[in-house]
Amino acid sequence: MGTTMVRMENVRKNFGDLEVLKDISFELKQGEVVAVIGPSGSGKSTLLRCLNRLETIDGGSIAIEGEYLVRDAKYVEEAEARRICGKMGMVFQQFNLFPHMTVLDNLLEAPMIVKKMARADILPIAEELLRKIGLEEKRDVYPTKLSGGQQQRVAIARALAMNPDIMLFDEPTSSLDPELTGEVLKTMRNLAEENMTMIVVTHEMGFAREVAKRVIFMADGVVQEEGPPEELFETPKNERLKMFLNSILR
Amino acid sequence: MEKILSMIYPLAEGSVVTLQLFAVTLLLSLPLGLLLALARISKIKPLSKTVELYNWVMRGSPLMLQLLFVYFALPSFGILLPDVAAAVLAFVLNYAAYFAEIFRAGIQSIQKGQYEAARALGFTYVQTMRRIIVPQMIKRVLPPVGNETITLVKDTSLVYVLAMNDLLRAARTIVQREFDMTPFFIAAVFYLAMTFIVTRVFNWLEKHYARYDE
Ligand SMILES: Nc1ncnc2c1ncn2[C@@H]1O[C@H](COP(=O)(O)OP(=O)(O)O)[C@@H](O)[C@H]1O
Ligand SMILES: [Mg+2]
Repeated sequence: MGTTMVRMENVRKNFGDLEVLKDISFELKQGEVVAVIGPSGSGKSTLLRCLNRLETIDGGSIAIEGEYLVRDAKYVEEAEARRICGKMGMVFQQFNLFPHMTVLDNLLEAPMIVKKMARADILPIAEELLRKIGLEEKRDVYPTKLSGGQQQRVAIARALAMNPDIMLFDEPTSSLDPELTGEVLKTMRNLAEENMTMIVVTHEMGFAREVAKRVIFMADGVVQEEGPPEELFETPKNERLKMFLNSILR
Repeated sequence: MEKILSMIYPLAEGSVVTLQLFAVTLLLSLPLGLLLALARISKIKPLSKTVELYNWVMRGSPLMLQLLFVYFALPSFGILLPDVAAAVLAFVLNYAAYFAEIFRAGIQSIQKGQYEAARALGFTYVQTMRRIIVPQMIKRVLPPVGNETITLVKDTSLVYVLAMNDLLRAARTIVQREFDMTPFFIAAVFYLAMTFIVTRVFNWLEKHYARYDE
C-alpha cells in the first residue's frame, strides 16, 4: 500500500569526530505522519536537515519519491538535487520568516522566484492558505508584529505555498509560549487530516500520540525503537526509551 | 554684498565639479563595494584573500597618496587618464573598499536561519543573496554607509592637489587673489549644505526601512 515518499538507507553523518547519525534507515509512505522523539543532541534535527540537504551526509543513500538525492554518499548534481528537495517543505523551530517582507509576500516569494510563477497565479493560493491558518487579516503585516504562534503558522503556510508532497517539522512548537502551541498543533493536525506526508520532530507527546501513525525514538544517533504510538508509549522495550519517557512524563 | 555675489559664481562652478565627483564616485563605488563584499565572503579562498588584501591596502594607506599615485604614477606606466577620470578612479577604488567592509559585516550579521529557510524553499545562492540577504543587509548598513557618504563629500576636496577646479580650489583661488577670507566661509556653507542634504536623505532612508523590525 502507498508509494514510498522518503527512504533513508544506512545514512551516516559526522561533524568532525562526532558521529551524529550512525546507520539510520527508514521509510515513509504517502500520507504517513511520523513523529521523531528523543533527548536533545540525539541527532533529530540533523536527520531532518540531511533530508533536504541543509546538511550533507557522509554515508548511505536518500531517495525522495523514488528518486535518489544521494546514493552511497554521492549526490546528484545541484539543479537536480534542488528539484528533488523541492518536494519537501520545512518548518523550523525559530520560524525563520523573512522579516523584510509582509506576511503575504513571505508566501508569494518562493513560488515567484523559485518556480517563476506569475503573481496572479500564486496570489489566490496564498490567500487561501492564509484563510486556512486564520490569518487573512494579517496579510499586509510584517512578521515581527505577530505572536510566535502566528509566525509559525505563517511559516507553515509559506512552506505549503510551494505545494510540497512532504513536510518536515523541526520542533515547531519548542520556542513558543505554552499557550501558543495549541494553534500551531491544530494547523499541523489539519494538515495531517488532509493526508499530508509529515515528519515531525517534537517534544509534544500528546501530538505524537494522537496524530502520528508511527513514532521513532532516537538516541545517540541511532533509531532505538520505532512503532505505533500506543506500543511505544504503553509498552516500551528499549531501556533508553523507558528512561526518556520517565524523564519527560515525570 | 556685490562682492559676495561676484564670488558666488566661481564657487558654484566649483561646487558642480565637487558634486559630480561625489555622485559618480558614490554611484560606482556602492555596487563595486557589494561585489567586493560578496567576493570577500566567497568560499573561493584565492578570491577572498585577494579582496582582503585589496581592502587592507586601500583602507590602510592615505587616499591622498592613492590619488597622487593614480595621477602621477600611472602615466609613467603608459596609462594616460584625463584629470577627472583619474580622480574618479582613485575615489571609486578607495571608497569601494570601505563600502565592501561595511557590506561584508552587514551580510555576516544576518542570521543563518535566513539562508536555511531560503535554501529549504529551493532558492539558489544568487536568489538568496538578491532577494533575502542583501535587502536585509541594506537596512543594517545604512548608518555606517551614511557616515562614509558624508566623509566622501568632504574628501572630494582632496582633488585640489590635482589642479581640478573643485569647490575648495575655487575658494582658495579667490582668497589668494583678493586677500579676503570670505570665500572660505562661503565654501564651508556649501559643504555644510551638501552634508545636510546627505544627512536628510539617509534619515529618510532609515525611516523608510523602519517599516519592519528584525
Ligand atoms: N553544524 C554542526 N556542527 C557541529 N556539531 C553539530 C552541528 N549541528 C549539530 N551538531 C551536533 O550534533 C549533535 C546532534 O545535534 P541535533 O541534530 O541538533 O540534535 P537534536 O535535534 O536531536 O537535539 C549535537 O551533539 C550537536 O551539538
Ligand atoms: Mg533539534
